[in-house]
Amino acid sequence: MADTELKIFDYDKAQIGEELGSYEYTLTQKMLDDFRTSVDDPEAPFPTLGVKHDATAFAMVYDDPIGTVNAGNEVEFFNPPVVGKKVHVTGRIADKYLRRDKPYIVIEATAVDEDGRLLEKLSTYQLKKPDELGKKWHPEQK
Amino acid sequence: MASRTKIEPDQKLPSVTKAITTDSILQFESCGILDRENIHNNPALAAKRLGTTYTLASGRMSITFAAEIMRKFFGPEVFNHTGTVNLKFLRPVKAGDTISVSGAVSGSEEIDGKTRVSVNLFCDNQDGNRTAVGIGTAVVE
Repeated sequence: MADTELKIFDYDKAQIGEELGSYEYTLTQKMLDDFRTSVDDPEAPFPTLGVKHDATAFAMVYDDPIGTVNAGNEVEFFNPPVVGKKVHVTGRIADKYLRRDKPYIVIEATAVDEDGRLLEKLSTYQLKKPDELGKKWHPEQK
Repeated sequence: MASRTKIEPDQKLPSVTKAITTDSILQFESCGILDRENIHNNPALAAKRLGTTYTLASGRMSITFAAEIMRKFFGPEVFNHTGTVNLKFLRPVKAGDTISVSGAVSGSEEIDGKTRVSVNLFCDNQDGNRTAVGIGTAVVE
């Protein structure tokens, strides 16, 4: 998808249920090896976590100049992906809310392989005001 | 694999300890299919958006660590097909940190003749500060 097609993310205009990018890629042995090395787990079965399906779906639709901080993740595992198989991902905005006056969205992605096997569902709780966390972590700097 | 008969309330999961390095953070980021800069691989962007002097490890690295102790406890044939991990991130994780991931069985419920076991999950850094907390589940026969 070309970057020129990206929309600037506007929290107020984001809709619950809004579809994000859907895409397909082939899982390679290198992706699996790199993932396992990065997390120091030679048997880690879900390199899809490193692909960040939901954030990728978001980034295929939106340019977000403010940025985001990951406040939390929920993941459901169904079947490990297989090297050489295509992985098809669909994403959406699952929720949107204010907590303590801070804006959050929940993005969600579902991954299925080329044989129709459900692999993983991943959700991320994104704080769309990342400087707030910076203040919390480094109050002396603000 | 932890069979249904072996799982007890408060039973501890095997813990893991992970050294977080700049290389591991960058390698994790390189697994993506989009070549883009973010607060995990670009210090200037992290400084601009967060005010930090360092990049952050992706929260999904902690998810993976928690999934590892779940997989080791329940066995891959169970966890890789029925498992869940839900973490809330409390503090940043950065290069130089050492993250210890632990868990203990918190409860169980019967569903369709099987048992869903819940586990409390914790990630703590080398200073004893909690970086993430959450719950994992798996369904055992």
